[in-house]
Amino acid sequence: MASSDDPSHREGRYDRRELLRRAGAGAVTVGVAGSGFGQAFYGPLRFKGRWLKGDLSLITWAHFVPAFDDWLDKTWAPQWGQQNDVQVKVDHINNTLLPARAQAEVAAKSGHDIFFDLAPRPQYEDNVIDHNEIVQQVQHKVGKIGRIAHKATYNPKTKKYFAFSDNYVPDPVVWRHDIWNGIGMSPNTWDSVRRAAPKLKGVGHPVGIGQSAELDSNMALCSFLMCFGSFVQNAHHQVTIKNKHTVEALKFMADIYQRGETDEIFGWDPSGNNNFLYSGKGSMIFNAISATRTPEDRGLPFANDLWIWPIPKGPHGRLGYQHVMGCWWVWKFAANKAGAKKFLADLEIHYKDAFLASKFYNFPSFPGAFSFKQIRKAVAQDRHRPLGKYGVLTTIAQRYTTNPGHPGYANAAFGEMFSKFMIPQMFAQVSQKKMTAQDAVNAADREIRGIYTKWRKLGKI
Amino acid sequence: MKEKGLSYLIVGPFAIVLAFPFYVMVITAFKDQTEFYNPAINPYWFGKNSPTFANASFLFHHTPYLTWLKNTCIVGLCVVAITLVLAVPAGYALARLAGRVGQSLGVGIFLTYLIPPTLLFIPFFAVIKQAHLTDSIWSLVLVYPSFTVPFSTWLLMGFFKTIPQELEDAARVDGASRLKTLVRVVFPISIPGILTVVIFSFSLVVNEFVYAFTFISPSAHKMVSTGVYTDLIRGDLPDWGAIMVAALIPSIPLALLYNTFLDRFIAGFTGGAFR
Repeated sequence: MASSDDPSHREGRYDRRELLRRAGAGAVTVGVAGSGFGQAFYGPLRFKGRWLKGDLSLITWAHFVPAFDDWLDKTWAPQWGQQNDVQVKVDHINNTLLPARAQAEVAAKSGHDIFFDLAPRPQYEDNVIDHNEIVQQVQHKVGKIGRIAHKATYNPKTKKYFAFSDNYVPDPVVWRHDIWNGIGMSPNTWDSVRRAAPKLKGVGHPVGIGQSAELDSNMALCSFLMCFGSFVQNAHHQVTIKNKHTVEALKFMADIYQRGETDEIFGWDPSGNNNFLYSGKGSMIFNAISATRTPEDRGLPFANDLWIWPIPKGPHGRLGYQHVMGCWWVWKFAANKAGAKKFLADLEIHYKDAFLASKFYNFPSFPGAFSFKQIRKAVAQDRHRPLGKYGVLTTIAQRYTTNPGHPGYANAAFGEMFSKFMIPQMFAQVSQKKMTAQDAVNAADREIRGIYTKWRKLGKI
Repeated sequence: MKEKGLSYLIVGPFAIVLAFPFYVMVITAFKDQTEFYNPAINPYWFGKNSPTFANASFLFHHTPYLTWLKNTCIVGLCVVAITLVLAVPAGYALARLAGRVGQSLGVGIFLTYLIPPTLLFIPFFAVIKQAHLTDSIWSLVLVYPSFTVPFSTWLLMGFFKTIPQELEDAARVDGASRLKTLVRVVFPISIPGILTVVIFSFSLVVNEFVYAFTFISPSAHKMVSTGVYTDLIRGDLPDWGAIMVAALIPSIPLALLYNTFLDRFIAGFTGGAFR
């Protein structure tokens, strides 16, 4: 029997002290080698532009056109990082989770350098840098910022850009031509929609205008109000929701719902109306062109029957918000502000690639970055049927699209009202017969006035 | 026989209703993508292009799903271990040592479990930042016990109360220390309660969303619950097939675990109910 003192037997066995000693030495070795490896690997190229030194992190949504994310993650960000010797980290999350994430980052004063959301968030003005420098830099290269982006990201009271908008997304009506053709109508005016809705529902294809606490419903219903001459605020940022036009609009939409929609519109998230359309059931929704791109990509049987038109004309005309107002901002606590500013400026200056990668979804906020003329030319190359259907996007963008908060700016009070989904809530109350139109308007007016008073006291409007 | 038939008649419809979502999950997991949006195809059965492993293949080859599973397992095991280390002695102490004070403390501890994560995730995020644990699964190992320990302590407290004091007294008379009594007498007959804590804690870790989403952004560090929701909704369209495969896989071991230890699990939960 071998003794434990026998050296041949002890080989490869350690007592506790020896084990700790060796583990400690190993950990130190790995640590030193690991830290050195980083420099050795990157070599002299690491941080050659010292003023941009460090990593750059950004968080954005999972784009409704996945090809855009592929381009951003695999082409633009790595190439830009290589050129500027900055390690760029891009995180994507579902768009509905962005507000909670922003709130958490603000509370912790920590997170990503750059944050993206689908609508202006002026309520964070005190937590972000002034983006004027980025705007000026881009204007110097490609020309003036577009009206929509300016009014969505600039606070005239504090003279500060609280966000930097790289893009906005026209919001057309997407409709099934085959189904509408079957009843001999088209969604050219809101009156046509109201008359067609019961017939469409009768043939098993209701229309789908959301009245839920989500972005698409918010945009569509605010736009609907504008077509009826009702605006949440005026150009001087005074609340103007309480008027006869709002009451009329509420009654009108309630009628469309009661005769031509189903109650699922009250429970949608931003992809609710898309799924409604893709299921083959929906005959009309308000959505950006992701609603036509996805059926094209997936080869859905009705892809060629999806038409896109400008928002239907109402008694006050034809005017809508954009579907998405792409807003980036750099937190005050961002670790790499210089890198963040340059990243955003460069992104916009070279926006042609972004526009094409998004399959015409993202329109540049600075029209000079890729002009309407160039866009029309690019769009004409699209081979999806009906041919030329995307040509109408430039018309929608130029003539029928305005900023959130129109005719004023997208200020903090409007932002809070918008993020609380008060407009869809007002509509839903009437459509579900929980309130009369007048009562719903009165209630919304009271609540919105409270919000405006608060922000006025804070000196933001 | 008649009685048995009546039982089946009552239980049968419940079983069908409860099993139906799992049935849909299985069917959808192996269904061809093109059949999801074709109203002509029965949504509760396969079309001509199904069944297919394409959804599973996409999940395993084009997403970091295996990493999410690994992260979930690591966090789950760590949280279960921490929970047991803290909740077992705490539950025992509250049951045996503190009398009426213990009762009140027990209720107090349970009440902390009722504070919803939606109120806590922002302050916790600040703590995680201070600890330099953002974007790390260790942030979850730190935070999850905040809701598993209170509930488990409360659960075990009730369970320990069902164990007759006389058993421990007998062991003490025979010369066993309190620790030895615990290890040799109390713990072996507390297995149903401890098992319940293990299953409960692990299930909570697998299901939790708010903290996992707030503390961790990079795809490679996500848990199953957040990875599925954030990375498998491509564009404006949920990838139903891949989502269902992703949901099916972790649900199988959990279902097996629950069914294997069903009797003990019930005993664990109801242990303190009749005291």
